[in-house]
Amino acid sequence: MICSVSGNRERKGVCARLLLAALAVCLTISMTVSAEVENSICADCHDEVSEMFHNSTHGIVFSGDPSLEKASCESCHGSAVDHANDGDPELIINPANQDQFGAKELCLSCHKDHGFDDWAFSSHNAADVTCADCHQVHVAAGTQPVSTTEMCYNCHGDVRATMHMPSAHPVAEGKMTCQNCHDPHGGSTKFALEADSRELCFTCHAGKEGPFAYEHAPVNEDCMICHNPHGTVADNMLKQSEPTLCLNCHPMHFHTAGIGEDRTDYAIDGEPGRTLNSSPTAWKSSMLTKCTQCHTVIHGSDNPSQEIPAQGQGLTR
Amino acid sequence: MKQFTTYVTAVIIALLLIPAMVIAEDGGDKQRDLSIWLGGHTTEFTDNTKKVGEYNKGENEFLPEFMLDYYMKSGNKMMSLNGHFYDDENIDAHYKLTIGNKFKAKIDFGSMVAQKGRDLLENIGAKKGPKMLSYTLLDEDADYKTKRSDIEGDYQLLLSKTNNIRLLAAHRSTIETGHEQKISTGHCANCHQVSRKLEVDRQTHTVEAGVAGEAGKFDLAYLFGYRTFKSNAPDAINHYDDARHPTNTVITGSDTTYTASAGEFVPRLIYQDTTLPYGVYPETEKMSHKLKVKGDVGKGRFAGAVSISQAKNKHTNLTTDAVSGVANYAVLLNPKTRLLTKLNVSQIQADDAIIDLPTHREGLSGPTQDFDYTFYSSLDRTTAGLSAELIRKVNPKLTASLKAGYSMVDRDDYPVYQNGTKTSKMFGQVKLRHRKGLTYSTNFKYRFEKITDPYVSGRGLFESKGRGVILPLDTVQPGYPGWVFYYQREELRYQDITTMPTEKHDIEWSSNWCPNSKVGINMGMKIGLDKNNDLDSLDVKQTSMQPNLSINFNPNSKISLTTGFSYTQYDSRGPVTIALFDG
Repeated sequence: MICSVSGNRERKGVCARLLLAALAVCLTISMTVSAEVENSICADCHDEVSEMFHNSTHGIVFSGDPSLEKASCESCHGSAVDHANDGDPELIINPANQDQFGAKELCLSCHKDHGFDDWAFSSHNAADVTCADCHQVHVAAGTQPVSTTEMCYNCHGDVRATMHMPSAHPVAEGKMTCQNCHDPHGGSTKFALEADSRELCFTCHAGKEGPFAYEHAPVNEDCMICHNPHGTVADNMLKQSEPTLCLNCHPMHFHTAGIGEDRTDYAIDGEPGRTLNSSPTAWKSSMLTKCTQCHTVIHGSDNPSQEIPAQGQGLTR
Repeated sequence: MKQFTTYVTAVIIALLLIPAMVIAEDGGDKQRDLSIWLGGHTTEFTDNTKKVGEYNKGENEFLPEFMLDYYMKSGNKMMSLNGHFYDDENIDAHYKLTIGNKFKAKIDFGSMVAQKGRDLLENIGAKKGPKMLSYTLLDEDADYKTKRSDIEGDYQLLLSKTNNIRLLAAHRSTIETGHEQKISTGHCANCHQVSRKLEVDRQTHTVEAGVAGEAGKFDLAYLFGYRTFKSNAPDAINHYDDARHPTNTVITGSDTTYTASAGEFVPRLIYQDTTLPYGVYPETEKMSHKLKVKGDVGKGRFAGAVSISQAKNKHTNLTTDAVSGVANYAVLLNPKTRLLTKLNVSQIQADDAIIDLPTHREGLSGPTQDFDYTFYSSLDRTTAGLSAELIRKVNPKLTASLKAGYSMVDRDDYPVYQNGTKTSKMFGQVKLRHRKGLTYSTNFKYRFEKITDPYVSGRGLFESKGRGVILPLDTVQPGYPGWVFYYQREELRYQDITTMPTEKHDIEWSSNWCPNSKVGINMGMKIGLDKNNDLDSLDVKQTSMQPNLSINFNPNSKISLTTGFSYTQYDSRGPVTIALFDG
């Protein structure tokens, strides 16, 4: 959560809340009402905010756009008449107190971009997270003090831990942000061509989509059967290291149970120059270390593996 | 790669020049800000560099870096350019152009390096009787890393103010270059791994174009999407060894006489004694059409979308068709109660293919067996989901919500053709949020899921102890050798095995406190319990615990200090033990 620049106090006045709701509804209907209280009067008390606002994204946009020349503090905060007369913060709209009940579209009345299509249905909105929880409206453009990722971590602290595990997407390195995968406004993900959770992964890892002639079924099911995209101890963001992960679904090759011959530099007939070492536990180390040493194309392939009875489905080629 | 660099350079120059000229011609007040930051960095890794520094080269020397921020504004026209040069492989640039409400452009460029370790294959090497396993390294001392360059653009052009008609366009190109380790696998009697260093040159290009506007009380948008993936690197090539009996010295092959036992291995394989490409990336293209609609319906808000898409693998001509729909409706039932409903349905159909294989044991005495089959994709499925959430403002500081839903995945042909499994899930969730403006908030969530027939491996486990004895083939079908073949055992698998739970419990708590505008304190805990006691093999149980605490201190808008503690513990118990000892 980003801290508010202005403080706020809660009062239990029911009338004040009804008034707020009414003001918010009016504001939703029309954002370009003429100012009843001039900005300069607001600046008399809120000089720091006023100063910052000129360099904020809103301030910059408002100052140069003739269609927005009537925009004022009251465009977002509603009528300031009562507040200016009384000084009571309850008598003016504080976007930080806006919620999904009634005045939720305070910001969206101007921000009609299709990226906010699903805000009304988003998890953040349903969880009573407001625009002001993440966005600081008054600060100078480009000077949001907390990085976007850190802001997400403030509420999703469990993800911070996994993102710093040995294998993770490069969020900690600043090469990605949470928004590369998640849309905090609840909209459909950019470049998501269909409503399928796998599609999100394929936007960056398109080579693993197929369709393949030789499939690995969990790839078609859900990438997160094997991977945790927020980070893991095991390589390649696998939930467990190989071979344990694979053995959760597959029986081991029966060779594993065999005891190897105890010899070094074993000559291979017909293959001069090639030798092998073997030990009593050699089969175990060969077969119980890393399945993808042999099953290299684990996400699918168009080429068959070698054995006929396995019907080419070994994903080794 | 050269083509891509030229393209990127041209786009950046054009986008720098055009607005600069437009803004320069504007007669109004102009504002320009330029700031350049010069600095440097050094990183030192003492061990496991590629493990802990996968995305950081870890140069021990001091390297210069610089950042640039340029901002230009005139009237309602605004342009900004931010760039960061960390080193020649890690560069970021972000460009924004806004011309009032008429035109918006946003372009981001980023490059990074991912370092990968080299698989030494030292664990490969075993011999016992008629089986052996060996490896050859053709990539000794190779250093593997891949550079990923990504350029992404998003554009909006206002065509008509009347119905707020806008032209939408977006593109993204990702180029991956470098080298990767490719291991080939020769199988059967002579299992032979060969490791090679291969070039990486993968390209993914995506474009989206569409139009959005208002029609009556509804906002409509249509989007067309097209994505391609291709690898331009030369194929990895491997010579697959002769199939032969490892303990007999007789070489097998089409023009070679071999002993009966050695000859067994040739007609067990689809290919041998030949050179073939391996690890080949597919060449794919994907096309989609999406129609979105939103607007007020009755007393509530509606948003829906329908999309169709087709993915095609050009190497095999296999295609996958998908159609999906989403409908969401939110309504304020009374000033303190809100209802949120969501529905989604999708269907995916993939091509079937006939896989024609050589006949098993063809040319040998005794019976043969045909393993040809028709490939039915496990992707064929229908999915649906429905949920409803009731959110209640209990008092000005406390919001409570109750959510319930159902979803299902109905697989057509997995694991068995026309007899696929159907997974269904019911869930319930309760959430509480207590907040006081932006000063303080506490969230609590509990979610429960009950899953019926979760995804299981189609192959399953081997038979358990005491289930029976596999008879050699000659006792079943006279004329066969008196051996037990591996595939006979596979047919006897019957136990379900999976890591997927049938029951999930998740508890989350988080609290945020901002005593003033410069300090923020956050803490939370997440606990998860997944279990599956419905398997006929062994119970599955997974638990997780993730406490966290962080403190942010922002003395001014340019300085941010964060310190925190976060911890994750996962514990998983699964049927792996059975798999290990079976056979």
